[in-house]
Amino acid sequence: MNAISSSPPSSRASILGVPAAEAYEPASLDACAELFARAAERKLRLGIIGGGSALGVGNPPTGLDAVVFTRKLERVVEYAPEDQVIVVEAGLTLGRLQALARQNGQWLGVDAPHASSATLGGLVAVGGFGPRRARYGAIRDLLLGVTLVRTDGAVARGGGKVVKNVAGFDLPKVVAGSLGSLGLIAEVTLRLHPLPELSATFRTAGLDASGVVQAMLALRRAQLEPSSVVALRGANARFELGVRLEGFRQGVERDAPRLLELPELRGDSPPERLADEAAASFWQRSDTPRTNCSLRVRVNALPTQLPEVERWIEPLLAALEGGRFIWYATLGIGFVAGDPGAPHQVVAALNSARSAAAWAGGALLVDAAPSAVRAEFDAWGAPPNAFAVMRELKQRFDPEGRLNPGRFVGGL
Amino acid sequence: MAASAASRSTAPLSRELVARFQDIVGAENCIFEADQLVAYECDALPHLRCRPGLVVLPKSRDEVVQVVKLAYSAGLPIVPRGSGTGLSGGALPVEGCLLLGLSRMRRIIDIDLDNQRMRVEPGVVNLDISKRLAPDGYYYAPDPSSAQICSIGGNVAENSGGAHCLKYGFTTHHVLGAELVLADGSVVTLGGAVLDAPGYDLRGALVGSEGTLGVVTQVTLRICRFPETTRTLLATFPSTTEAGNAVSLIIASGILPAAIEMMDKMAIDAVRSVMGGAWPEVGAVLLMDVDGTLGEVEHTAERASELCLQAGAIELRRPTDAAERDAMWRGRKSAFTAMGRLSPNYIVQDGVIPRSQIARVLREISRLAEHWGVRVANVFHAGDGNLHPLVLYDASVPEEAERAERCSGEIVRLCVSSGGSITGEHGVGLDKAAYMGEMFSETDLETMNWLRCSFDPETRFNPGKVFPTPRLCGDRAGHYVPHPTEVSGQIGRG
Repeated sequence: MNAISSSPPSSRASILGVPAAEAYEPASLDACAELFARAAERKLRLGIIGGGSALGVGNPPTGLDAVVFTRKLERVVEYAPEDQVIVVEAGLTLGRLQALARQNGQWLGVDAPHASSATLGGLVAVGGFGPRRARYGAIRDLLLGVTLVRTDGAVARGGGKVVKNVAGFDLPKVVAGSLGSLGLIAEVTLRLHPLPELSATFRTAGLDASGVVQAMLALRRAQLEPSSVVALRGANARFELGVRLEGFRQGVERDAPRLLELPELRGDSPPERLADEAAASFWQRSDTPRTNCSLRVRVNALPTQLPEVERWIEPLLAALEGGRFIWYATLGIGFVAGDPGAPHQVVAALNSARSAAAWAGGALLVDAAPSAVRAEFDAWGAPPNAFAVMRELKQRFDPEGRLNPGRFVGGL
Repeated sequence: MAASAASRSTAPLSRELVARFQDIVGAENCIFEADQLVAYECDALPHLRCRPGLVVLPKSRDEVVQVVKLAYSAGLPIVPRGSGTGLSGGALPVEGCLLLGLSRMRRIIDIDLDNQRMRVEPGVVNLDISKRLAPDGYYYAPDPSSAQICSIGGNVAENSGGAHCLKYGFTTHHVLGAELVLADGSVVTLGGAVLDAPGYDLRGALVGSEGTLGVVTQVTLRICRFPETTRTLLATFPSTTEAGNAVSLIIASGILPAAIEMMDKMAIDAVRSVMGGAWPEVGAVLLMDVDGTLGEVEHTAERASELCLQAGAIELRRPTDAAERDAMWRGRKSAFTAMGRLSPNYIVQDGVIPRSQIARVLREISRLAEHWGVRVANVFHAGDGNLHPLVLYDASVPEEAERAERCSGEIVRLCVSSGGSITGEHGVGLDKAAYMGEMFSETDLETMNWLRCSFDPETRFNPGKVFPTPRLCGDRAGHYVPHPTEVSGQIGRG
């Protein structure tokens, strides 16, 4: 069974402060299946950890008997570069996959933060994405197939290994974003894309929230097709906007002047094309609200709702130490991060932001929070409209409620 | 397969029950006379037929809810139907069912161009959406060949594709949310205009579920801005081998064309017999769109042309105007119907293979055709390896239909054994249900069934489809502890 620890549990064999007495590191699909079958006999409550970079997502489990680490599941099962499809075990990190794909002039269009530690299985479990979602979609959109070890230890496959496939129910879609609550994601099949020949980043600053929206709309009107459009809110309540054009050199070079001439992209000064180093630094800065700070939440809304979103989260930003906000402008997804000084004040601000978002049809979700905040603030908010169906789904996949119990939406 | 569904007779529904459906939707929207029901016996897969008990055509979500509730209490199975253009028997009635036709629900509810969202009722015709959006410079990306008549509700059920899905994705990538009426008449909202609704991606489960989960009464779509420019290229080749190599070279060069379609000699001959002499007499044709910004496209169109020549293209044709481009695409999209000129009957397959294996698989297919003594034409989405072999036969020739069926089945198995799929865009329906076991294990199918049963525990919707053998849901194991918000009455089904 590859137990790596028994009591006392190491601090790493815990999820959101909930410790598990046992920890396992299965190194193959068969070992996962055997582990889950034995866990079923013993009725163990299981938590699953990939790279550990998104462990703050969701609510603390109601209790865990064992933690399963997927990091030894790191084989590339199949890679056919000519088909731009790769099958990997769940514990392979995003960074290693990208390095391998790069050798063949390809990449996975998912530029989620923490590439060196985040695993593909973990990214699927949380529905991961980065700024390039604007072009490639999130990982769920690139997930062609999945191998799931069920709670009873049986191995189920869904989807396929080709980019186009409608045979049977779309198990991969349901598994994506399910936070380890339906089974162990053991293998994933992903669609890759060709690496662009050239990537160019353009930066402008001094936009207000509606200016960011206008810039996003102007890019679209001009039929430029940026792969990322991200706005970073500065201390002066003004936004810096980064726009990335990627593709063949000739195309990017010919599109660049059109972008630079758009009046809507003119903030304090005309937009500028960043040198490679400055561009890398911009995108790194844009990732920090997704990686640093003890409190991180995301706000989902419509792309044009940025001015409203800003109003919703202003009290929260004020209540946080070092509060920051970034906005994926074409997607309508924002990330707020900071360190809560006075947790009660922060919780009040979170509650008011969440109700405003929910009222407008959006949501506010917790990516990370200190326990003082968690104690008073649910990671997901009120159960969604179709919760009754979700509950049925969980019940059928995990009838004893042993997988990540209580961590997912509505206590599932 | 055909025999199992065909020629079943069913006892007519009681007059009282029919009257209650008439009360809901109006007498003119209830069809129950045997001669009128004939029109609803099949979808676009005409060799499978079954007479429904009753056809009901509701006009609104509320009418759907009432109809579903009544059908539920009467114990009638429900088969939803859009425009009936499906090619796998997804909208084929089951014996004595209530066939729920959604073609009267064709309102465009609202359009939000700035957020690239649009809400429509399920009966809205696919192409009408793009027509409506075109003056503003937007369109709806998935473009099945039946776009002129197929409905969005049907597209959701089948996760429809189309020629341009290689770059832009399938229906599942363009449906953000849906309103769904469940078997007991409750209404749930899945996903929505805002991305990443919390909880399981039930929207993702719905798209492609072939009418087995409920009745879709509203869909939220993602709409796209026109690319700055599109270039179309038609390249002719001595055979499908050179054309297949051209596809491989283009994809390997990093170009992601909006579409690359291939037709073999027989398919071209069929199209020429309908469209006329502009279609060349060659062994294979590639029809390709590259789109994007002008700067990008000038490069990719040029490069793709070079690669076609490098792979052995005989001739490259570039349309000089929109009319010529439309004619090229009309030729491709009319290929299925044009087959009628070559053969009185045909079976369409929809298998997918890894695109690097196109040349090998096409050779295998022609070997199979020879073995079974039938002709097979190929017209397909080469960029994503989605084949559409058309197995031609004459039903009036003794045993020819059977040989065509056997050949067709072996082609499906060939796709699966090549690492592909039994269906890329037409769906499983009833037509391919028997092949599901070739691709999925018993455990895989059982797990899929859990998904289905979470929505429809009594399998009231479209029973007998998708799975190779009928499946019930059974009782759930374990016991459920309700969430506090449910106990307090804050939440519930719907």
